[in-house]
Amino acid sequence: MAELKPEHGTLQAYITGFVLSLIFTLIPYYLVVHHTFSGRALLITILGFGVLQMLVQLLFFLHIGRRPRPTWQIHFLNATVGAILVVVGGSIVITTNLHHNMMPTEQALKLVNDEGIYQVNGEKTGACQGQYPNHQIIIKDGVATPSFISAKQCDTLTYITQDGRPNDIVFTQDAKTASYAGVASYSVRKGQNQTITLSELGTYQFHDSAQPATAGSFTVSN
Amino acid sequence: MSVKELLIGKLNWEALPHEWFTIGGTGFFFVIAIIIAVYLTRTKRWTWLWKEWLTSVDPKRIGIMYFIAGGLMLLRGGLDAIMIWLQQALGSSNMHGVLGAQHGYLTSDHFQQIFTAHGNIMVFFVAMAFVFGLINYIVPLQIGARDLAFPFLNSLGFWLYIGGVVMVNMFFLFGGQYAATGWLAIAPLSGREFSPGVGVDYWIWSLQISGIGSTIGAINFIITILKMRAKGMKLSMMPLFTWGSLFSMLMAVTVFPLLTATLFLMFFDRQLGTHFFTTTAGGDPMMYTNLIWMWGHPEVYILMLPAFGVFSEVVSTFSRKRVSSYTSNVLGMAGVSALALSVWLHHFFTMGASADVNAFFGVMTMIIAIPTAVLFFTWIATLKGGRIRFETPMLWFLGFVAIFTIGGLSGLILAIPPADFQLHNSLFLVAHFHSNVIGGVLFGIFAGINYWFPKIAGIKLNERIGRQAFWCWIIGYCLSFIPMYVLGIMGATRRLDHYDASTGWQPLFIMMLIGGIVIAIGTALQLAQILASVIQRKRLYDTTGDPWGGRTLEWSVPSAPQSYNFTTIPEVSSRDQFWKMKQEGLPEPAYEDIHIPHNTAAGIYISLFAFLAGFGFVWDIIWLIVVSLVGILVVFIRRAYNENSEYTLTAAEVRSREATRKEKIAAQRKEALAAADEEELSLWGLIKLVLAYGLDVVRKRKWRTW
Amino acid sequence: MSEVVEAELGHLEHHEEEANDRTLFGFWVYLMTDLLMFSVLFACYAVLHGNINGGESGRQLFEMPLALAETLILLTSSFTCGIGMFMARQGKKTQTLFWFAITFILGLAFLTFEVREFAKFIGEGHSLHGSAFLSSFFVLVGTHGLHITSGLLWMGTTMAYTVRRGLTTHIVRKLSLLSLFWHFLDIVWIFIFTIVYLGAVAWPS
Repeated sequence: MAELKPEHGTLQAYITGFVLSLIFTLIPYYLVVHHTFSGRALLITILGFGVLQMLVQLLFFLHIGRRPRPTWQIHFLNATVGAILVVVGGSIVITTNLHHNMMPTEQALKLVNDEGIYQVNGEKTGACQGQYPNHQIIIKDGVATPSFISAKQCDTLTYITQDGRPNDIVFTQDAKTASYAGVASYSVRKGQNQTITLSELGTYQFHDSAQPATAGSFTVSN
Repeated sequence: MSVKELLIGKLNWEALPHEWFTIGGTGFFFVIAIIIAVYLTRTKRWTWLWKEWLTSVDPKRIGIMYFIAGGLMLLRGGLDAIMIWLQQALGSSNMHGVLGAQHGYLTSDHFQQIFTAHGNIMVFFVAMAFVFGLINYIVPLQIGARDLAFPFLNSLGFWLYIGGVVMVNMFFLFGGQYAATGWLAIAPLSGREFSPGVGVDYWIWSLQISGIGSTIGAINFIITILKMRAKGMKLSMMPLFTWGSLFSMLMAVTVFPLLTATLFLMFFDRQLGTHFFTTTAGGDPMMYTNLIWMWGHPEVYILMLPAFGVFSEVVSTFSRKRVSSYTSNVLGMAGVSALALSVWLHHFFTMGASADVNAFFGVMTMIIAIPTAVLFFTWIATLKGGRIRFETPMLWFLGFVAIFTIGGLSGLILAIPPADFQLHNSLFLVAHFHSNVIGGVLFGIFAGINYWFPKIAGIKLNERIGRQAFWCWIIGYCLSFIPMYVLGIMGATRRLDHYDASTGWQPLFIMMLIGGIVIAIGTALQLAQILASVIQRKRLYDTTGDPWGGRTLEWSVPSAPQSYNFTTIPEVSSRDQFWKMKQEGLPEPAYEDIHIPHNTAAGIYISLFAFLAGFGFVWDIIWLIVVSLVGILVVFIRRAYNENSEYTLTAAEVRSREATRKEKIAAQRKEALAAADEEELSLWGLIKLVLAYGLDVVRKRKWRTW
Repeated sequence: MSEVVEAELGHLEHHEEEANDRTLFGFWVYLMTDLLMFSVLFACYAVLHGNINGGESGRQLFEMPLALAETLILLTSSFTCGIGMFMARQGKKTQTLFWFAITFILGLAFLTFEVREFAKFIGEGHSLHGSAFLSSFFVLVGTHGLHITSGLLWMGTTMAYTVRRGLTTHIVRKLSLLSLFWHFLDIVWIFIFTIVYLGAVAWPS
């Protein structure tokens, strides 16, 4: 950065920068400490003020803006900021994704018990152990019998079809599409039954997505 | 803490060599050191060595020192490779193990240390050294500068690299074990719980010290290229090797700090018991893999970009054409550099990220192939319509095209996450990256050395033996690495010290071992090439400074340039300025005062202290750490506040030096003329010469008078 | 002055200016690498700050008024450093020394507060090997503190040389590098203050 002949301007710059930085420090501080609001919005706000203060200091303390502009330095700064975003942002995105998929067993089991998830993608999570009564729904000629089942939590429900064509069972709750115990649909064919563990409480309706007339519902209580 | 612990930390008698390989290794180094010491004493060259070379801040001297160190480490890394090949060849049979090993001749633990050391040495201490050596020597000449921007930091960077070299070999003498974790020491295997010995600590500090040297060097090169070009040389007029070096160093300056930080965090985990990458107390080992590959992937491009630059120069000169599409070439290099920081997850597709994350990085990895292909097309376009000369540098380029393409294609396969799930950590992966590193980086370095050897040493290299060396390398590579691809697809996992004999793979491993031996012969031939060239130097003198008909400024100065490179910095008005000068008439020599930086030993002292501090960290010798850190500070501060770091060479002195040089060149021309009819020395001719000399020495007992 | 001597001086000045330019640029690039090193530490803090291993989180541990005090002290020291640089460029030796001395004292005060905070945590049993959160906190904030310490050492040394040799061009160049370093340390602290201290309250893990 080339030397400037000393001017009042420079002294002015330092004072302006100092005052602005003070303001940009105190505002986020009070916002946070007095719990004005919270969550993501607050985080973005205080980060925003941090970035603002950084720009203020770059401009007024480091004289980035004044001519002759140190173009190479500005390029390097921009590139570094970009790299930092990749390093920090990339790490956060990747590790969050990894943690979600690779959660250690103890934590996963705790979640399972807290949220009542007893199976994921057809695999049992290890809860709902023991023998429980089994209910059956038989689909014949496009009609599901019985059309209503009342069950207790952890009972099992088996779909059996005697029709030639496979059935694709989907669930709704209060007329809105829902998944049951983490699964959105089950495929049932002749000779290939589907058994689900009724781990989630509530009333669910089911129907064949290709043939909505094949329908029914069940209620799970504890 | 007992007095013993206070004085020498964890060191004890068991740390000294007591196994066959530590005794062998230590003994070997000692013998070499003694031979060198005796030679220097006999020829009274200690002062000369200190003054002319070790304390030099001339990038040409430093460049040559990088080559020598890198070359020696290439031998060490290559020996590791032969040991690996031998172990796998022996270990894939029913044969019972020897020398205390269950399979083959190496214990599992020892084998793991060897492949770890092999990887570290080749990447950090061979490839980086050769790249830094080339850039040091050639870039200032190409841009019309006399020196780098920060001569002292250049020396410091070199000596920190040497500190790393010593550290990575130190375990032979103290400790007897290196890291057994693979070259990147992934957590938690490299944490204190699973690697309690000093091996990983040596790993950390050898990389840390030389890594800081690399960062310093990268800053130096960038400022030099951006701020010290000759008057009139816009960026768009720079030679392509300089462009490659610039991009490489921009990447280096971005990612080496990441390595520095990650190594510190690993060190804290091991030394202070922090929980960054541990499996307990909330540590996250996957974060280590994430961070280390953020550095690790751009690192391979850092090594590759200067090699791309070398090839651009070589293709142009040996097609006797300027590079077609200079702009596309630069954009290709820029594209690779820009994308380098966006692909690192492809090294851990299988670690468990979900499909969309894997897919993103897979796609980005494939996209990088595009700017790389652009580069290839510019080279092919340059070849087309040119009058191609098949001298050794061009041969290395052609070999690169073949091998690097195979490596790149196998990389594209690996970039597909589902395919990678099958091939990750198989020998397919090993073959892939070796194809790229050998075919790309190493061949590029060899091409560069063959191309610029006349400029650096003043003599051309023996073509005959050079060609033979090339063919050994290519054939050796094919024998070694093509079977490795096959084995990988058949399911062979990497880093195993034995494979069940029932797989029937032993013949392939034996083939790979033979390939390795052929490569070793190739390396020996390269050394023979240099020897033959020195013996026949009168015939090979480069008296014009421009043996190949070059286009760029480095060919405008006499070979083995003066310390100040140019008498006056040329004014540049176009690309391939030297070519233009040759057409329009070379400028009249002019003389001016030249400011030359003094030699300095500060770099040596700081690195010595850095090494000692690292050693103290490895062995918990607290006083050594403190004293060394203070030492670094003191030397650095004294150097920083030294205001008398330059002296002036007056114009008159420059003139007289040039006159002396002219006389020397004239004498060389006479000798060259007399030797012109000599036939180029063949390999057999060289062997006969060496044997005859050896017999002569023995018969006449010449060693008495050495 | 004779023409030759003037030309010589002009040549030397040009030489000095070029060297000055290069040194500042080179140091700027070094600062970029330092920022990248910090980014790794920030990334680790972002990823690991929730892993409190059953211990206390930042929200429970950090004292906001202390963090604010540290921030204001460092900000003021950045300001006084700027004034010091302003004086140095004008060649006013005593003023320069005065303002850098204030900067030094403020920096020392900052360090004292930080060391006391660390000591308090360690004394209460929250040391850096208690959890990943504590490790990443201590290393991130501690590394910044180490940089401040180096800066103070640098400041003291340069001030000593200034007293001995006066405000030579060489010394002024060193001072501009130092002030660059010091300003950047304050910028890094802005983000530590925001992400670590304010973040602990605004975004509890």
